[in-house]
Amino acid sequence: MSEQYNPRILGFLCNWCCYAAADAAGVSRFQYPPNLRTIRVMCTGRVDPAFIFRGFIEGADGIFTGG
Amino acid sequence: MLTNADFLSLEGKPGDFTAKVRLRPRYIDADSCTACGLCTQYCPRHHVDDYNEGLSLTRPIHIDYAQAVPATYYIDPESCLHLQHDTCQICVPVCQSHAINFDQKPEELDLKVGAVILSPGFGKISEETLEKYGYNRHPDIVTSIEFERMTTASGPFMGEVKCFSDGRHPKRLAFIQCVGSRDLGCNNGYCSSVCCMYSIKEALVAKEHDPEVDITIYYMDIRTQGKEFDKARERAEAIGIKFVRARVADVTPWENRLQLTYSTLDGKHYFEPYDMVVLSVGLESPRDARGIAEKTGIDLNRYDFCETSTFAPLTTSRDGVIVAGAFQGPKDIPESVTQASAAAGIAAGMLTKQRGQGIVHKSYPEEQPMDEEVRIGVFVCHCGINISSVVDVHNVEESTEDMEGVVYHTDSLYSCSQDAQEVLKDKIKEHNLNRVVIAACSPRTHEPLFQETLKDAGLNRSLIEMVNIRDQCSWVHANEPEAATDKSRDLVRMAVAKARGMKPLPEQTVPVTPRAMVVGGGIAGMTAALSIADQGFETLLLEKGKTLGGNLGLLNHTLAGDETAKELKKLVARVQKNKKISVATEAELTAISGFIGNYASVISTGSGKKKTEQTYDHGTVVLATGGHEHRPGGYLLDKNSKVMTQMELEKRLAGKAKNRAPSSVVMIQCAGSRGDDLNYCSKVCCNHAVKNALQIKEINPDSQVIVLYRDMRTYGYAEDAYREARLKGVVFIPYEIANKPEVYEKGKTLHVKFFDSIMQEDMDLTPDLVALSVGIVPEGTEELSKLLKAPLTNDRFFLEAHVKLRPVELPVDGVYVCGLAHGPKPLDETIAQAQAAAAKAAIPLVKGFVSVAPIVSIVDEEQCIGCSLCASLCPYGAIEMIKVDKKRKARTIAASCKACGICASHCPTFAITMGGFTNEQINSQISAFGDVGEKETAEVS
Amino acid sequence: MGKGMEHRAGSVMVVGGGIAGVQAALDLTELGYYVYLVEKEAVVGGVMAQLDKTFPTNDCSL
Repeated sequence: MSEQYNPRILGFLCNWCCYAAADAAGVSRFQYPPNLRTIRVMCTGRVDPAFIFRGFIEGADGIFTGG
Repeated sequence: MLTNADFLSLEGKPGDFTAKVRLRPRYIDADSCTACGLCTQYCPRHHVDDYNEGLSLTRPIHIDYAQAVPATYYIDPESCLHLQHDTCQICVPVCQSHAINFDQKPEELDLKVGAVILSPGFGKISEETLEKYGYNRHPDIVTSIEFERMTTASGPFMGEVKCFSDGRHPKRLAFIQCVGSRDLGCNNGYCSSVCCMYSIKEALVAKEHDPEVDITIYYMDIRTQGKEFDKARERAEAIGIKFVRARVADVTPWENRLQLTYSTLDGKHYFEPYDMVVLSVGLESPRDARGIAEKTGIDLNRYDFCETSTFAPLTTSRDGVIVAGAFQGPKDIPESVTQASAAAGIAAGMLTKQRGQGIVHKSYPEEQPMDEEVRIGVFVCHCGINISSVVDVHNVEESTEDMEGVVYHTDSLYSCSQDAQEVLKDKIKEHNLNRVVIAACSPRTHEPLFQETLKDAGLNRSLIEMVNIRDQCSWVHANEPEAATDKSRDLVRMAVAKARGMKPLPEQTVPVTPRAMVVGGGIAGMTAALSIADQGFETLLLEKGKTLGGNLGLLNHTLAGDETAKELKKLVARVQKNKKISVATEAELTAISGFIGNYASVISTGSGKKKTEQTYDHGTVVLATGGHEHRPGGYLLDKNSKVMTQMELEKRLAGKAKNRAPSSVVMIQCAGSRGDDLNYCSKVCCNHAVKNALQIKEINPDSQVIVLYRDMRTYGYAEDAYREARLKGVVFIPYEIANKPEVYEKGKTLHVKFFDSIMQEDMDLTPDLVALSVGIVPEGTEELSKLLKAPLTNDRFFLEAHVKLRPVELPVDGVYVCGLAHGPKPLDETIAQAQAAAAKAAIPLVKGFVSVAPIVSIVDEEQCIGCSLCASLCPYGAIEMIKVDKKRKARTIAASCKACGICASHCPTFAITMGGFTNEQINSQISAFGDVGEKETAEVS
Repeated sequence: MGKGMEHRAGSVMVVGGGIAGVQAALDLTELGYYVYLVEKEAVVGGVMAQLDKTFPTNDCSL
C-alpha cells in the first residue's frame, strides 16, 4: 500500500462557537483525525478572504472556517 | 462561595442580619486540587452517581462533571472506605498535588449580611406519585430527568438511548405529561409550567438521535405559552411527533414491552404498546421548604412554595428576605434568571448605604516598559497526565529551542496551579520575558487566569498567547500520539509566530453618565424607574400618553383578587414623590446617539405648537413601551355590540349595569392568536377568561358560560382558578384551529357555531354575549428598533441578547427591556422583569465606567478612505463616521465594539485592524502553518 | 468543631446555588456588594447543569 492521503487543513475557528465546540469535543473525548491546525479568531467575520488565499499559498490542502 | 454548606439560622433585621452556616468538609484542599481526576481512577469503592440520577456509578472521591464549579473534587463520606471504616487512603499518595486531607472538620460560620436571597430551587415529585404510572415496576418507565441524562452526549450512556430491560433501542416512545402536576391526588394542584417545554425538547432530541423513533406526547393542554415557544411545538409536529389529548390511566408491563392505557375527551379508551415511557415530572416545592421557612420566618403558600403577591412577586413576609427562582413558584430558566437579577436589584436597593464597602480592590504593579527585543517564554503543560500521556511534552518544548524570539522554555506539571503561577512570575522577571506562550488547555477557560498573572508580573495582559494542546489535541487524538505531538509542535510554532507580533494594548475605560432613562410609563416602566431610583440614580421616565399607568389603568382586579386601581394609585404616587425620578408625559424619544454609559437622547414633549425638544444625557436605557389588545377581524368585533374583548368585558362586569352578567356567555380563546392573525400565544388571555368567567358566576350564578379553547394555559397557580371555574359550572370545550368557531348574525340574533369535541357534534348557540380573548401586540417597537439598532422578533417584540441567560438585556449594550415590549406576560412577571431590567441598567451606573477589552478594532486614519463600508456592515453600530480635516474617516466606538472583525476583513484599504488579532499576526500564523518543511529548524520567514 | 466569624459590611447571603442563585450573586457583585453564596451540594449549578439542551433553541445548557 502506498502512503495514505494525509491532507493538511488550516482552520479558522470562532471563539464563541466553533472553538468552544472544539473544546467540548475534547471534553467528551470525541476522536477525529489530527490533520487540522487551527487559528482562533473572535468571530469568523474577521476572516479576510486574503487569509484563505495565503493559506493555500502556504500549502494547505483545505481550509476550514467554523463560526 | 460556600459549597457543601448548610444554612442553619437567621437572626437580626434588614441591613444587619447574622446568618449561621455550617461548612461540611470536602476532605480535599480546594487550593491544591487541580481536578486531574487521578484520585477517582484509583479509588476502589463504587458510589451511585446522583448527578446522573443514579443511572451510573462513580467513586466516593469524585467531581460531578468536568465543568463543575468549584473545579475541586470531593469525597462523599457516605461511601468512603476511610471515613466509614478507617481503612484504604489509597487516594492520599496518588494525589500529586497533596490535596487530600482527611483531617478536615465541619466548620460553623457566622455571616453578617444586610439581606438574604432565597433561591433553593425545587424538589422532586415523590416516588409514590410516579408509581401510579408504573415507575419502579418496570425498568423502561423513566422520569424525564433520567431521560435527559440518557440523551446527553457526556452522560452515562454517551447519548445513546437504550431500554434498561434488554438494551434495545426503543422504537416507540411515549411521554406522559402532568405527572405530579395539576393533580390534587398528590396535593399539587398547580401546573409546573416547564414540563410541556422540556418534553418537546427531549422528543426533538430523541428524534435527532434516531429519526425512525415513533414518539407520542399524551397531554391535557400543551402549555407552550412563553415567547417563541409555540414555534418549537410546531417544529415538533412537523417532524412527526404526535400529540394526543388524553389522560393516561395506567402503564403496565406487556411481554417485553409496556402497554399504555388512556382515554380521550370523547370518553373512549385505547391501549397502545411502547418500548419506553417517559414521565414528565413536575416541579415539587424544595425538600427543605418548611425548614427554610422556619429558619427565616417566611410564610409558605398552600403548596409549600414561598408566599408572595402579584404586585410584589419577590418580597417574602420577612423584611430583608427576598425570593427568586422556582421556590417562588414553578418556572423555567429565563424566568428564574430574571427573578434573580430582580432580587439582586431589590437587595442592592435596600443597602445602598453599604454599597462597595465589602468589595476588595486588587492592585497591580505598574506595567514595565517594553524592550525592543522580542523575548518569548514558552511554557508547555503536562496537565497531570491529560496531555503528557498522549503528547510528548518534552519534544514539543524542545522544538521551540531555535525559534526566533524564544529565549526561555520549560514544562510544567500543572501550569494553572497556584505554585506554577509563582514560577511563571519568577521566570518572567528572571529572563526578562516580554511575551508568553502557554501550551496547555483552552484560552476560553484559562486565559483570564494567565492574564492576571501577567498583570501581577508587571506585563500587559495582552502579551500572552495560549495553545490548546489538551481539549483540541491530546483528548481528541488519544490513539495517535505521534500525530498529536506533531500537531502540538505546529500549533506552538504558529503561536510563537503570532506572539512575535503581540503588542501591549491599553485597557480603555470610558466614564459613565450616572443617569438612566425609562421609555414607557406603564407598570413596567414605573417599576423600573422606582427600582433604579432606589439604587440612588436619577431617572427620566418618558410616557407617550397624558398620564402614567398604561394597561394597568384599564383593569379592575387581578386573578389573585388585588384591586388594580388602588395599587396603581399607590405606584403613581410613589413615582411622583420620588425626587430622583422626573416624569415627562406626552413625551417621545425622537433620536438617540452614543453608546453604553454615554447616551444622548432627544425628547419631544407636548403636541402641535407647544411641542418642544430637549436633550437628555444618560448612561443606560430601559424600554418598557408596552402593548395593547389586538382587534382581530372575522368575529364581528366592533360590528356587533354583543361582541367584546375580555378587557371590555372586565370593565362591564366592574360597572353597575343590571344585566352586566347575562345568562348565556360564550368566550372564544385565541381569537386572532396562535396562527390566526397573530402567530403567537399571548400568555395572559386564558387567565383573563377564567377571571371573567368566575366574576360572571359571582354576579349571576345561573349564567351559562362556555369557553371555547385550544389549550387552556392557566399555568402555575392559575390552575387553581381554572379548576374552581370548572367546579362552578363553567363549561370548557376545546376546538381545533382548522375548525374554529364561527360568529355570525342571522337577522338581529348573534350566533356562535362550533364543533363540540366532547359530544362529537356541531353546535349552534345564540348567546347574549360573546367575549373574545384577543392577543397582545407590542406598541411602537418598530420605530425604537430603528433608532437603537436593536433587533426584533418576527412578531415585533424586542429580541433579547440571550433567550435563557440574558433575558432582559438587548444585544445593544446599555439597553434593557421589560414588560409587554419583550413579550406578552402577566402582571407579576412584568414587575419582576422590570425590577430585573432596572438592576441590569444600574450596573454600569454603579461602576461609573465601562471597561473595554483591548481586542477592539482600530482604524488607521491615514489609510482610511472614508468609504463607510465598515460602518454599514457593523452589526453593533460600533463604527461612526467623523470629519477629520474635512475628510470623512471611520472611528471605532470602543465601548460598543464586540471585536468580531467584520470591519477589518472588509476594509478595502486594510486600514482597520483588530487588537490582538492583527493582519500581521494572523498572516504570520498562516506562514508558520506553511512552514512544515523547515519545522525542525523552525525558522519562520 | 471550628467556629468562625465573618464580618463584611455591604454583604448579601444567597441561599441556593442553582441558576437563580448564581445569577443573583453575579448581579450583586456587579452592583457593588460582597456575596456569600451558600450551596448545600459540592458544586454550584443546580439542576440546569444536569440538562442536556435547553428549550426552545436546543442550545447546550452547560
